[in-house]
This record gives sequence, structure tokens and C-alpha cells, in this order.
Amino acid sequence: MTTGNLTEDDVRKMAADIGMTRLTDGHLQELLRATQAARARRASLPTDTLTPADEPAHVFSLTGGDGQ
Amino acid sequence: MSAMGDLAWLTVADAAELLRAKKLSPVEYANALIARAESHDKNYNAYLRATPELALEDARRAEGEIMRGDWRGPFHGVPYGLKDIVDYTGLPTTAHSKILQGNVAKADAVVTQKLRAAGGVFMGKLSTHEFAIGGPSFDLPWPPARNAWNRDHFCGGSSSGSGAATAAGFLPAAIGTDTGGSVRNPASMCGVIGMKPTYGLVSRRGVLPLAFSLDHVGTLTRTVRDNALMLDLIAGHDAQDPGSANHAAGGYTAQLGRDVKGIRVGVLRHFYTRDMQADPEIADGIDAAAKKLSELGAEVREISTAPLGEYIACNRTILTSEAFAIHEKWMRERPQDYGALARERLMAGAFVRASDYVNATRLRRKLTDAFHALFSELDVIITSSSMDPACRIDDPKAVEYTYGRQSRAPFNITGSPALSVPTGFSKGGLPLAMQIVGKPFSEALIYRVAHAYEQVTEWVSMHPTLV
Repeated sequence: MTTGNLTEDDVRKMAADIGMTRLTDGHLQELLRATQAARARRASLPTDTLTPADEPAHVFSLTGGDGQ
Repeated sequence: MSAMGDLAWLTVADAAELLRAKKLSPVEYANALIARAESHDKNYNAYLRATPELALEDARRAEGEIMRGDWRGPFHGVPYGLKDIVDYTGLPTTAHSKILQGNVAKADAVVTQKLRAAGGVFMGKLSTHEFAIGGPSFDLPWPPARNAWNRDHFCGGSSSGSGAATAAGFLPAAIGTDTGGSVRNPASMCGVIGMKPTYGLVSRRGVLPLAFSLDHVGTLTRTVRDNALMLDLIAGHDAQDPGSANHAAGGYTAQLGRDVKGIRVGVLRHFYTRDMQADPEIADGIDAAAKKLSELGAEVREISTAPLGEYIACNRTILTSEAFAIHEKWMRERPQDYGALARERLMAGAFVRASDYVNATRLRRKLTDAFHALFSELDVIITSSSMDPACRIDDPKAVEYTYGRQSRAPFNITGSPALSVPTGFSKGGLPLAMQIVGKPFSEALIYRVAHAYEQVTEWVSMHPTLV
């Protein structure tokens, strides 16, 4: 997951793949910067500290209500 | 109490006494604040849509009820405003965006319902960063709000109008929202009190989401007591909000006036001295506040937690992923209708891998558990809010530089209640602030500590001179 190699052409194709086909060249520059920033953030997440048992914050529990 | 200037700085608590005693007319009060905003808001843009006709309708109703002896409580006849991502029946909820210009609310948000039921006087919809993420922006249908202490400076965001209007004396209380710090940022920049309550304490139903698992509705006021009074009104379980906490709410003024002797205060200094280097005036303000609390009898000691950068990376990964899920359709169909800042910040979520999002939520649980464990030996934590005083609003590089220099996002990750409290002013005359953070549902204790500090400082009595 590198952050420095992404080009405007790369993000144009990536955007088109998810249906974002109306972006101008200026928008694509924004998308390029945004994607690079997001990848840098992802790289700074200490995911190597996670063990298989570490569950997401969103895992939910159900209440029993009146059922048996 | 008829001078407009006096009414501008009236607290909710003092107004309540005067209104109840029939020494102040709700109509006179509303008219004074309407006139003040009409004179000055052209220079501050705090209101996206002022609604003087609705305010006077509410004020007349309140006046009639109070005169008949039907006093509803401390918010009866008190003016307030709503960030324009909060629904008010019959008015557009625009999120300050061209995308939603015609989005007329069909029902009140729960928080709106509660303030209306309390007899509040609705003054209007307040400016926000576009979709609570993109600002300050000059390429939107409405201009950005400006700082009441110096209109050339940023007033923080995204609840920018809520902070600006409260600081400017356009109203004594406003509702904001906070996903990565958006109540506490304008509170810090504008020198007012801003509470991001415990996640789930205040219903989000009827509030446009930014990121479901991080969104909070909060309160901005000029005093700690007013903030506690307002939170009392809006807190409570809502079975129709999936994030709502089924937990007892209320009683937030109960500890005000009690001393802080023996209260265990942790100072989270590495956030603003090592992980980020705050402006010296900010750091000195927090250290001075810690000293003041110690002098008041609190047991103050330095503590540590995970690096600030881990919390922020976790927050932004989750925030942008959830936000893009909401905005993807509009990004496909109407990308040109966003302002540049919102578009770029929202597009950061376009290509986050599912595993990265899930791993961020796994880290969130670890960070949250570790942070909450600190409170086995502490009552509250104090730390920085913004790392810098408000920069110039017309300097995009300064805005970009300072935007991420904050330590508010950790408490959206942990869901902890966090209050922004003024700590003084910079040499340039701009507000400085700190946060007081507690364990979940400890808002009453946070207000107690903030109130004790407020009583021995003079910041609350200082007001900006408007142009």
C-alpha cells in the first residue's frame, strides 16, 4: 500500500470504476490528494497490534425481550 | 434590563429568573437580539437563515403563558439557534450546501422538539461548514461565519454559526454537532462553552448525519451553568435512534457550586507538547488552568495514553468511510455542486478498503477500552482542544495547516463527554481553550470542575466588540 505512486490517471480510472464519471480535472486533483491522504492515514494505523480476537467497535448485542 | 447591550450578554440562567419573575418580556428580549443580529450579522454571517417572524411568534406565546402563570422552566422565552443540519419543520435543512437548497424538513429533529417543548424562542438556522465537514468555504451559496472577536479570523467549525452567534451575543444558546470536534472547535475559537456529550446521550434523529458512529449533538453557551441547563433539556433516550444510550439522563446542574477538593485530574500533556506542539499560548493556558485547579484543591497529575496521531487516524478513517457511504450517490451525479473543501474531504473515503475500515473500528475498541481504564484512578482529564488560536479566514494555507492540529477527535472515537472551556486570550486578542473530559455519562462532574474553574477566572465576563 504505497502512497506516492498514485497518478491522476489512476484515480480517474478508479473513480470511473465506481461510477464517478462526472469529475473534472480539478476534481480529480482533489481526489488524488484526498486518496493519498487517506492512504497515509491508513499506513499510520497500528494494525499490527491487532490480534484475531480484537473485535470491531460496532459488534452489537441483542436484547432478549420477552422471548424464551 | 431594557438596554440592548445588557440583553445581548444575559445568561440563560439569569434570563430565566427575570422571565419567570415577569421582569423581562420574552418579546422585548427577542426583539433586542433580532435587532442586534440585524445590525451586525452582515459582518459575521452567523445566521444562514434568521427567522425573526418565528422568533416573535414563539416569544409572544411564551409571554402569554408566563403572564398566565404557566412557566414551563428555565428555557421558557429564551432565544436559541440550530446548526443548519438540524431539522425544524417547514424550513430548509441545507447543510450550507447547494445540494440541499430545497430540502424542507417535514418534521422537527428530536432536539428541536425538546427545545420547542421547553418554550424556547427559535431565532433561526445557523451557518455550518458544508455537510459539517467542508469549510470555511467561499464557493457556497452562503458565506462562511466569521469570528466575533475578529471578523478577519476563522471561527472554527463545523458548528461555526453556533459558535459565532453565541460569542457575538446574537443568542445565549445554540445547538451544534460534533463528529471530529465540530462543537468544541468553534467553542474554542470563539471563547464559549461547548459540550460534546457522551455518545448516544442526545438523540441524533432529525439531524443530517456525517458519520453515524461518531456523530454527537451538543450545546454551545457562554457559561457552564447555561450549558448544563441546555443539556438537561435535550438529553435522554430515543428508541428510534439506533445509537441512543438507554441510560438515565439529567441532573447536569446538580453539582454546580461544589468545590473540587480531592477531585482527581489527569493532565494529558503529551497530546499538545509531544504528539503535536501547540502554540505556546495554548499550552501555557492549559498548564495555568491545571495549576488553578490544583490551588482549588484538586489532585492534579500528568497522565498518558496512546499517541494523538493514532486516535486521529482512526477517527478520519472511520469518518471518511461512513461519510462517503452517505455522499457517494451525489458524488456520482452532482460533484460540481459541492464546495471544493467538502468535496475533497468527503472523497477521502472513496477508496478506503473495507478491511481498513474494519481494522480502524477494531483499533477504536482497543483505544476506547484503554482510555476508559484511565478513569479507574481519575475523575476528569484536561487537555488541549485546538493547537493554535484562530487563523485568518482568508488564508487557505493557514486554515489547512491548523484544521488538523487538534485533539478533539480522540473523544469522538471513545465516545467520552468532552467540554471546551476558555482559558484566556492570545496576545492577538483571540480566545484560547482547553478540554475537560470524563468517563461516559459523567457530564455533571465535568460541569462541576469547569464551573469551579470558571468562577475563579474572568473569561466569561469578557465580550467582543462587534463591527
